[in-house]
Amino acid sequence: MIVALCSTGFDDQAELDSRFGRCSHFLFFDTDQRTFKTVSNSAKDASGGAGAQAVQILVNFGTGVLIAPDVGPQAMDALQAMNISVFRQGSITLPDKAIKAWENHRLEEQQKASVAGMHRA
Amino acid sequence: MKAAILSGKGGTGKTTVSTHLAALFPDALYVDMDVEEPNGDLFLNPEWNDRIPVSVIYPEIDNDKCTHCRNCAAFCRFNALIAGKALTISMKEICHGCGGCALVCPSDAIRYRERIIGYVSRGITRFGSPIISGKMDVGEFSGVPLIDRIRTMDRTEALQIIDSPPGTSCTTVAAVEGCDLAVIVTEPTPFALSDMKRTVEMLRTMKLPFAVVINKAGMGDRGVYDYCRDESIDILGEIPFSLELAGAYATGVMLDSVSPQLQKEYRKIMDGMKRKAGMPGVAV
Repeated sequence: MIVALCSTGFDDQAELDSRFGRCSHFLFFDTDQRTFKTVSNSAKDASGGAGAQAVQILVNFGTGVLIAPDVGPQAMDALQAMNISVFRQGSITLPDKAIKAWENHRLEEQQKASVAGMHRA
Repeated sequence: MKAAILSGKGGTGKTTVSTHLAALFPDALYVDMDVEEPNGDLFLNPEWNDRIPVSVIYPEIDNDKCTHCRNCAAFCRFNALIAGKALTISMKEICHGCGGCALVCPSDAIRYRERIIGYVSRGITRFGSPIISGKMDVGEFSGVPLIDRIRTMDRTEALQIIDSPPGTSCTTVAAVEGCDLAVIVTEPTPFALSDMKRTVEMLRTMKLPFAVVINKAGMGDRGVYDYCRDESIDILGEIPFSLELAGAYATGVMLDSVSPQLQKEYRKIMDGMKRKAGMPGVAV
């Protein structure tokens, strides 16, 4: 199972990003290998539809679970359609803490978008 | 003569000037192309006769035919298609309706459906003059299809006042296209001058003759006047900055309280516009 996280930097020590579609990097955690892989988010500078483009990146990496800040309604629709479960990172700032919390079922699952569009720079 | 009334900065008085011209010259067709927030009807109080829905297309994927080759997702520059290993989906709110995804699909798996993004209304103002107004639905991202729809409508009036969107965005360019003349409504402030310079650049690129009307004259500074002098841009008229006018605007009775001096100024503006478009002027 691949778990995706939104990161502010290049490695698994960097803090989690407070944005989904326009986060700096995506961190992919392989639950079988217990390893991290980082890719820079090419959707970051999209003029529009960054969330949808980010979902495509997640799909390309075979993501099954996304741990993220609040996700906008369009991206949420796409994530649900692509069978990617979304969990809220809440106040957790480091990737390994977020993974641990998810593995211990301590993260809240996001069912649908909380607001009508994020549109954050 | 199709005359686009625009501004650069928002709130300088496009609708004030447009509706005054429409009220004082009832032969003119008033067209509200500021489809994101049309407000000319608040002053012209029309009776609407017609309300035409405007639609755009979006793709629907037949996942029985789709081979998930990703051609469509790779082609779409707006990322409106997401291709997985076993499922490909489209995001209708992101799609710009170009129709390209069906062209690159090798499996004939894409069909288009329509969705309404707003309405164009036609009516008669309380001054007996014709009005067309476009209004985009809340949540939509582009008013250009509405403006394009208005531009294809039968408009035979010799004089047309096009109340345009602010700024220099796609909607503004779409509203100005096909006009004979543009009038930049500005105010004597550094902010308005800064945005007006972009509008001047846009109009010069589009090779459209234009002139300036200064609203709220008497406030601010001389920057706009100096710029117009240096760039040889005609100032067709000036509307004074007045509390009385602002109050009439705020209560929606602006067009009923036009003083003889102000009427004369608007006639002068119309005279300048017609001459600029190579037509005979009007009596001031």
